[in-house]
Order: sequence, then structure tokens, then C-alpha cells
Amino acid sequence: MRIPILKLHDYLLISVQVELDDQTALQFQEDLLNKIHQEGSSGVVIDLTSVEMIDSFIAKVLGDVVEMSNLMGAKVVLTGIQPAVAITLIDMGIMLDEVPTALDLEQGLDKLQQELEG
Amino acid sequence: MQPSIIEMIYSQREEIMKRWEEEVQRVSENEMGRQLPYDKYNETNAEFIHLIIDTLELDQNEAKEKLRFFAERLIHAGWPLSYFTQGMQAFRRVLLETMTSNDSLQSKTVFTTFYEIESWIDGIINQLVDEYTGSWENTLHLQKLALKELSAPLIPVFEKISVMPLIGTIDTERAKLIMESLLEGIIEHRSQVVLIDITGVPVVDTMVAHHIIQASEAVRLVGAECILVGIRPEIAQTIVNLGIDLGKFPTRSTLRKGIETGLELTQRKIVDI
Amino acid sequence: MSVQSNVEVHTEWGIVSARQAGRNLAKELGFSSVDQARITTAISELARNIYLYAEKGEIIIESVERMQSTGRKKGIKITAKDEGPGIKNIRQVMEDGFTTSGGLGAGLPGVKRLMDEFDIDSIAGEGTEITTIKWNS
Repeated sequence: MRIPILKLHDYLLISVQVELDDQTALQFQEDLLNKIHQEGSSGVVIDLTSVEMIDSFIAKVLGDVVEMSNLMGAKVVLTGIQPAVAITLIDMGIMLDEVPTALDLEQGLDKLQQELEG
Repeated sequence: MQPSIIEMIYSQREEIMKRWEEEVQRVSENEMGRQLPYDKYNETNAEFIHLIIDTLELDQNEAKEKLRFFAERLIHAGWPLSYFTQGMQAFRRVLLETMTSNDSLQSKTVFTTFYEIESWIDGIINQLVDEYTGSWENTLHLQKLALKELSAPLIPVFEKISVMPLIGTIDTERAKLIMESLLEGIIEHRSQVVLIDITGVPVVDTMVAHHIIQASEAVRLVGAECILVGIRPEIAQTIVNLGIDLGKFPTRSTLRKGIETGLELTQRKIVDI
Repeated sequence: MSVQSNVEVHTEWGIVSARQAGRNLAKELGFSSVDQARITTAISELARNIYLYAEKGEIIIESVERMQSTGRKKGIKITAKDEGPGIKNIRQVMEDGFTTSGGLGAGLPGVKRLMDEFDIDSIAGEGTEITTIKWNS
């Protein structure tokens, strides 16, 4: 299964609508990096509103994606992390410290704009 | 106690135990059977009766200690108080029965009379015990509910800015509720900045600080930002003296200053007109 | 009466079906959405450990009950069983940040924090059994 990646000007938009299994997550990592390379994107918003669970593996993949994208010159914002998912991550001791977040897609785009301009 | 009684108990120990277990079985089938966990039932019975008889042999303090330990464990596992009171009454009945069973008719009459009075009084005792424990449990339940109601609401004050005033002591259970209502509220009001006001929290120790830090981390994950406000001088002192690191998120002394910071963070400010 | 489901884990899909089974039962037992996420995540961690280290094993998900003075308390019990290499140093795997797989090292200590009761039993060379319970408050 592949997660669709949409292009909007300089940005890439991803809305994760499926339950993330390991393979899908890794495939997504690869697809996103290729797309950034191909399009020369400067910002990425990954929306997780429909994701009901993030375990330590998925968290690691997401953290890695952010770091790798930064290396390629694209800022990443994660949006729409659900309260239950956030609490579970905190319980597990996973803070995702280096990862910028926003409430929803709209605010995520605002945040990217700010970070890229400021 | 008269040596003859102790001797009698020892010589008929097995018999007494057997009759006691039957008696308890009979009582518990009527009354408390439905409340008891059956897998441990026989095991606990055996332990209880041994403990009762042990109190004759052991040093008083030691016996008390053993009984306390046993009771604590059963309380924790949720056994009702009536198991103890009725179990003890059953033991007394069995003992008297055993004592008088081989005796003359006269003592039997005494026993019967005694039995009647006893069951009358025991009935009252049992009811009183039930009333008491029932009322304790009820009170406890209500207090828990009251505490839940006390748990902080998230109040939207401006667009994108909300305040959560915390009042009273924060324990782990409350911290969980606070965190949930905080995060749900953020989503509901689309808040970008949340001010957590701890003016009403009497003590901030490492535990409370830990809960607050965790809450602010979770707030960040859902995509908002936390500002801790209402830090009184004595709270600032304890936080530093305990070596708690709150450096990761902004703090302000008062709610007013916090709101100013919140407006700045969302590119707004209040001006005189 | 207790409901029980067993899920074999020997592919990555086993991980997905184990957590789905867990979420369904958690929902049925009336757990809050936060607790549902906690339970599902714990199952995911346990199932992944089986897949990564033992290749094959099973996750057993069942409802449990306990007596309390205020009435019956319901919970969900998860057992993760495998006949893999076992855990040589249990204290080490329960430390935050310890990892042999390149992960975050949050797995087992994380599960312990997500759940209410946690028990680990492992013999090197024979296998591992982890039992964990979450009570519905």
C-alpha cells in the first residue's frame, strides 16, 4: 500500500489515511525523500489526523523522515496528532523533540511559511 | 484462657476446622457468596482458620502482626468485612457446639439459649458493620466523583488562546484527567497557545512538575504551545531547590503576563483606544 | 465469562491483526479512547518484539475481572508468547533507550508504563512470555 503525496507549489502535502504498518511506513519514507529530490520542495506537511496509533517503530520512522528531509533542505511539520496518540507517546517516553507540530493542515502550512520566511 | 479450653481446641482441631469450613460455606452461600472470588476461596478459608488457631500459640504482638498482614491483603483483594465478622461468629458457634456436643443435657440447654441471644446480637452487629462499610464506600465514591468534577476545564479566552486553571493537589489520577481534558479542549477550540495557571496548586514537588512537563510535551505533540503561569515566589523557590528543569517551556509570573505572551506568539497585541 | 482471541505473529501482518483484535476488545470493554490507544500501542510493541527477535509466536488477548469493594473491575490481559532466543538480561531491556535493533529503545519499558500490570518471564534459549494487564477505571 502506498500513501499518496500531493504537490502544492513548493510544498508537499501528505494525509495519512490508512493504519500504518511497518512496510507502508518504510515505503512512505522512501517515496517522500524521492519526491523531495525530484520536486526540490522546501516544505512538507504530514497530516496524522486519521492515525489512531503510533508505536515506537512508527515514531522512529517519522522522526527519521523529518531529519532526513531536513538534510535535503525541506522543513517538515507534523499536524493533527490526536490527543490519545499524543498521550500514548508521552507515556512511552517518546517526545519527538526535534519535530515541529501544528494543530491541522492549515496551521501547519502557516507554520512552514513562518519558518521559511523567518 | 482456661487451659482446658485450649486443650479441647487442640485435641479436636481437625474436627473444628472441618465444621468451621462447612459453617462458613453455609453462611457465605446465603449472603456473601456472590461477592467472593471463588478461585482463592478455599485457600483463603484454610489460611483464615489456621490464623485464628495460631493466635492461641503465638506471642500477642506477633499474632496481631500476622492478622494485620492477612487483613491488608484481603482488603486489597476486595474481600468484604463481613467475611471476617461472619467467619469469626461461625467459629464461635462451632466451638461452643463442639464443647457441648458430648455433654449433658443441661449444658445443651444453656447453649441453645446462648445461641438464640447470640444470633440476635450478631445480626445487629452484622447490619451495623454493613451500614458502616457501605457508607464509607459511598463516601469514598462520592469524593472521587467530586474530585473528578474539580478537574480543570479549558477556557477559551481569545481566539487561539485558552487558559486552564489548576486548583488543588495534583496526583497521578488527576494528572491523567487534566491531560485528557487539556488535549481534547485544544482540538475543540483550536487553541495555539494554552496557559496553565498553577496559582491554585498548593505544592509543586518533583511529581507535580513531572506531570506538568508531560502535559506540556503532549500539548506540543498535538500542535499547540504551553505557557506555565501563576508561579508564586515560594513555588519558584521549591522548583529551583528541587533541581526541577522547567527550562523547556516558557513560564510567566501571572496570568496577565501569560496572555500578553500568548498574543505575541499569535502575532497580536492589546492596544489602548 | 471471558472473551479470548489468539493471534499468530510470524509476519508483519500479524502485528496489524493483533492490534486490531486488541482495539476491538478494548472498545467492547468500554475503555476510553486514550486507553484504547495505550492498549493497541502496547500490543504493537509486544508483537513487533516477537516478529523481530523470535520470528514466530502468539499474542493472546482476553478480558479479565477482579473483585473490589466497590464492585467488579474489568480489564484486558495481553500475553505475548514465543519460543525465541529469550532475553539474557531482563533489567537491561527494561531500561529506557536500550536497543539492539536500532529502534528507540522505548518498547518494553514503554509497554510497562502504558499498562497497569507487567510481568516478564524469559529463559535464554527457550523463549519469552510477557503478561500485561490494563484495568478499566
